[in-house]
Amino acid sequence: MHAFTYTRAADVGGALQAGAAQGSAYLGGGTNLLDLIKGDVAQPLRLVDINRLPLAQIRELPGGGLSIGALARNSDTANHALVRQRYPVLSEALLSGASPQLRNMATIGGNLMQRTRCPYFTDVGFAMCNKRNPGSGCGALQGRNRMHAVLGGSEQCVAVNPSDMNVALAALDATVLLRGPQGERRVALAEFHRVPGNSPELDTNLLPGELITAVELPPAWPNARSRYIKVRDRASYAFALASAAVLLDLDGQTIRAARVALGGVATKPWRATATERALPGRRLDEGSLRAAAALAVREAHPLRENAFKVELAQRAIVRALREAGGVA
Amino acid sequence: MNHPLEPGLKSLAEAGLGSIALTVNGRPALLNCAPPTRLAHALRDELGLTGTKIGCDAGDCGACTVLLDGKQVCSCITAVAQCAGREVTTIEGLAQDGKLNRLQQAFLKYGAAQCGICTPGMLMAASDLLAGNAAPTQAEVEDALGGVLCRCTGYQKIVESVLAVAHDDLTLEPPTAGRAVGSRLARLDGVSKLTGAEKYGADEYPAGALWLRVVRSPHARAGFTLGDLDAFRRKYPQIEGFITAADVPENSFCVFPVPKDQPVLADGHVRFRGEAVLGLLGERDAIIAIPEAEMPITWQPRHALTEPEEALTATGDLIHDFAPENVLCRGRVVKGDVQAAFPMAAHVVEENFRTSYVEHAYIEPEAGYAEVVSQGGQERLRLFVCTQTPYMDKEEVARVLKLPHDRVRVVPSAIGGGFGGKLDISVQPLLAVAAWKLKRPVRIVYTRPESMASTPKRHPSRIRVRLGCDKEGKLTAMDFAGDFNTGAYASWGSTVANRVPIHASGPYALPNVRALTRAVYTNNAIAGAFRGFGVPQACIATETLMDELAEKCGIDALEFRYRNAIRAGDATACGQVLQASAGLDQCLDALRPAWAGAKEASAAFNGQAIRSGSRKRRGAGLACMWYGIGNTVIANPSTMTIGLRASGRVVLYNGAQEIGQGTYTIMPQIAADALGVPVSLIDQVHSDTDLTEDAGKSSASRQTFVSGNAAKFAAEDLRRQLLQLAGTAADATLRLEGTALIAGTSRIDLQGLTPINERGDLALGSGYFNPPTVPLDADGQGVPYATFAFAAQLAEVEVDLDYGTVKVLHIHAAHDVGRAVNPTQVEGQIHGGIAQGLGLALMEEYISGKTDNLHDYLIPTVGDMPRITTYLIEDAEPLGPYGAKGVGEPALVPTAPAIYSAIRAATGVRVRLAPATPDRLKAALKAHEAGQRL
Repeated sequence: MHAFTYTRAADVGGALQAGAAQGSAYLGGGTNLLDLIKGDVAQPLRLVDINRLPLAQIRELPGGGLSIGALARNSDTANHALVRQRYPVLSEALLSGASPQLRNMATIGGNLMQRTRCPYFTDVGFAMCNKRNPGSGCGALQGRNRMHAVLGGSEQCVAVNPSDMNVALAALDATVLLRGPQGERRVALAEFHRVPGNSPELDTNLLPGELITAVELPPAWPNARSRYIKVRDRASYAFALASAAVLLDLDGQTIRAARVALGGVATKPWRATATERALPGRRLDEGSLRAAAALAVREAHPLRENAFKVELAQRAIVRALREAGGVA
Repeated sequence: MNHPLEPGLKSLAEAGLGSIALTVNGRPALLNCAPPTRLAHALRDELGLTGTKIGCDAGDCGACTVLLDGKQVCSCITAVAQCAGREVTTIEGLAQDGKLNRLQQAFLKYGAAQCGICTPGMLMAASDLLAGNAAPTQAEVEDALGGVLCRCTGYQKIVESVLAVAHDDLTLEPPTAGRAVGSRLARLDGVSKLTGAEKYGADEYPAGALWLRVVRSPHARAGFTLGDLDAFRRKYPQIEGFITAADVPENSFCVFPVPKDQPVLADGHVRFRGEAVLGLLGERDAIIAIPEAEMPITWQPRHALTEPEEALTATGDLIHDFAPENVLCRGRVVKGDVQAAFPMAAHVVEENFRTSYVEHAYIEPEAGYAEVVSQGGQERLRLFVCTQTPYMDKEEVARVLKLPHDRVRVVPSAIGGGFGGKLDISVQPLLAVAAWKLKRPVRIVYTRPESMASTPKRHPSRIRVRLGCDKEGKLTAMDFAGDFNTGAYASWGSTVANRVPIHASGPYALPNVRALTRAVYTNNAIAGAFRGFGVPQACIATETLMDELAEKCGIDALEFRYRNAIRAGDATACGQVLQASAGLDQCLDALRPAWAGAKEASAAFNGQAIRSGSRKRRGAGLACMWYGIGNTVIANPSTMTIGLRASGRVVLYNGAQEIGQGTYTIMPQIAADALGVPVSLIDQVHSDTDLTEDAGKSSASRQTFVSGNAAKFAAEDLRRQLLQLAGTAADATLRLEGTALIAGTSRIDLQGLTPINERGDLALGSGYFNPPTVPLDADGQGVPYATFAFAAQLAEVEVDLDYGTVKVLHIHAAHDVGRAVNPTQVEGQIHGGIAQGLGLALMEEYISGKTDNLHDYLIPTVGDMPRITTYLIEDAEPLGPYGAKGVGEPALVPTAPAIYSAIRAATGVRVRLAPATPDRLKAALKAHEAGQRL
């Protein structure tokens, strides 16, 4: 445990000012950050408590989209009437994540920032982890890697992004709103998280001192059907072995458009764009869907213990599409 | 990794903040701790509200659940700064005016609290639900409780209790005189578990107690040297003392007399990752703040032997010098002539099986304190600790300190789950050495990673079995060989190696048996005692082959077992002729209707699934078990005493350590009926090595059988004395009315009698029981146990062929317990055993040196549990108290093989590697579909 200071921000400006100092970390729900600090995995010099900022609002945007404040709690978001009506896939994903206690504290902004649960990352007594200590090596590549990524990994890191919410947001084409010293900017969710490449220590493209203020969802597809499927080792509070968030626009039994995102198998929330491109015009039969799902894992690089995820991800996509389409 | 408090900020002034004001249980509270201090720690340390428990300290277990503005949150990952101006409700806020609320009453009535460590979390999570939904559905209850882990109850009674709040009459009806045994008496220690008053290992300590931080090896095998400790202390002046190997008078311990192979603190050489090498003492936060990297230790890592195969063949590379081939011990039972029998068999099956390390995952990490007290001009060591075995702790601590036994007193705390894990020695000698050296009170609470790294697990096993039968389906021969990875130190490894061969045959009559085992040292986490001592692992292998053989014979799986069931009058593999109470056949009879129904239902489901293209399949499977009650041959006596006081109340001196299994309820039930008074007249002095007699360990499912007898004999002795005192006949009725004793027609005023001891007992009954056994010869022939429990379980599962996931739908559990002294407690043991068996079967795998938390190590949540139907078979054991045997371990043993049997029925896949995680099952399904063997 390293020493750090604590400051409570009264407004966004104050938060940005405090957050600009090197080594600052914003404290929202704290469900991940406090645990990482306790274990010395995160070593901020200053905690900037942003819980008093007015960023918990969920409101409809002109034109039909939805803005979810960064401090909206996971449980409030999951149970919000507009979310349930128009973006049920987000509600499903949030409710399949963590436990009721954590969902009551965890925030949307914090969930975007959630760090990997790779045990080599969280065990500070273990020397090798490029994400925690750049250049030290990766314990998972040759070690126990059943839970690791088959997509988006590098020679440096194969840690999975553990969030369920992110998978739904990826499928929904969400935009992340950021405030920094230079003002506000908007980043597409697909651009927010990074694959590890040669800098696995960076999970996101957030700039130092930047604050997430909201997530915006574009207007829901009219008559969209959706589903979030999560396959895990036990019934509740377990991270995904593989998960799939899908949106479907159907013309009878034929797909007009689809969005497909994967979780539990990739280093960042993973849009299966090749699958999405292949789906329009197909019917919801098992064979067609399987062929499209296979495209999602063409680039997969399984490790010693996680090859099963390659097939599991496809099965989850097919099942999610069929259930969304009401044929399973 | 031991960080209960954030030491970053020492004062609120530093942060420019005042005290943090909040409301706790309806009253204003001011917290003066640093704003990032986590709420659970502030509640416990600042406000003294220790009802809120810290199980994992990481948001994984939910024991610390409190309400924040009415919503359930994990207080261990909520900063107090986040609670400013808000309302916090803890378990202490539930009872109003000293009266349990309806939720608490329901928990008490329906036995929802066993060890009680998850109870605060469960109550708070349920309170959140009930506040907004007075009459929830079962699914809503399960959702609301999904974030609180329970390792004891199997969740069923908890869910029933929450559902009962809306409608049930929750008043309790205590049994009348002579009706205690067999009644559903609510736990006598229940109220304190439901109000948060119960004191577990971390909940109590003397003022000024120093904190002990244990520095542990990051290497599985290494030499090491300690640097200059004086210089280290100059750099970190908050260190008030050290303990090293040099400070330990006798630096070795083990639960057995031989080999005393484990050092309290390693002396220059470590044998597993997590071994203790150095202790630092000081004020808690200050001592914790010293970075791990600063420890003055130089390591010389060596090649670690991590697999038994490697350890067995690592010529000359011994983990312990005294153990050639790295074998701790061998077990052997041989009867008849296996080699001659197999060629004659009509059908023979053979297979290899493997199981993994399993972690006890009790929600309470090891904790306690030690202090040196002056008594009668002598210094004594007093140890407050969570333990399953206070008397062994006392002897072992005295041995380590080289003190006479009577200089050590062990006062057990309440224990938040044990399951065999707290049958071993963990914090006890460390605390003792530190307190004795510094002559100051010393406390410790293991962190979850520390607990998971350093304490024993269930043995991983590799088992090969060959099983044969004749053409009528009568078993003729079994050849069994098992290797058990016992890790770096002996612990209970030899018990596993010895118990398994005795039980290998399963509860079947088998004329020819050869069962050989080895416990093998490796540089892995220590494997020791865990509910069943290796028998669950063996049962997976043998019961799977029972199914195979039944199929080869074309005989129904239940019928096949029924034909082979061992019965009274039959001889076991050890040559022991069972005299009575062998109720397997009755267990199987009880399951017949459910078996027929389950097979029919799954066939119908699968027919429909195939027609509709669904990828779900269902199946039903069976497994049986038997289990010897008490120690294997080794003496395991129990002594109980019971006194009558002038107040007209009876005091039971109950040294049978309560570990959630109910000994503080069951012993009084037995004693009450034996004495002939209502149980409500009995008070207890709970286990304390100064105040109670040695009742032995809470292990081996022995307490009801062994200490139950001792309690019965003690009460009968007291009754005899009282009747004699009254001068009435031995069969006279005996009553206590106020301070009067009424025996037959005579009435004695107790106030007029002189106590026989300083405690105020007017008369003291004493009872002793040691199960009769006969030592085993070189072929394992003899009488290892006085009695056996029997069980058959039926599992119904649904397998998802796409994912390889398994949902257990229903388990029917038929258990021959001899007599159910308290059916609620028996059911609770069965439910909890099934939960652990389900975890063993489907999800639990501890990776040595790696797994250190409860989100990588998964135990079943409420949503994983099936419906459970229990069938209590009471084939009375003549040697048992009122016919009772034991149920603690038997509950777990058949669950995993029953689930595997059902998976096989659903899919055709035979599980040979536990746990059957989705990836493993999926691989096996693919191989099966391709017609391959995996």
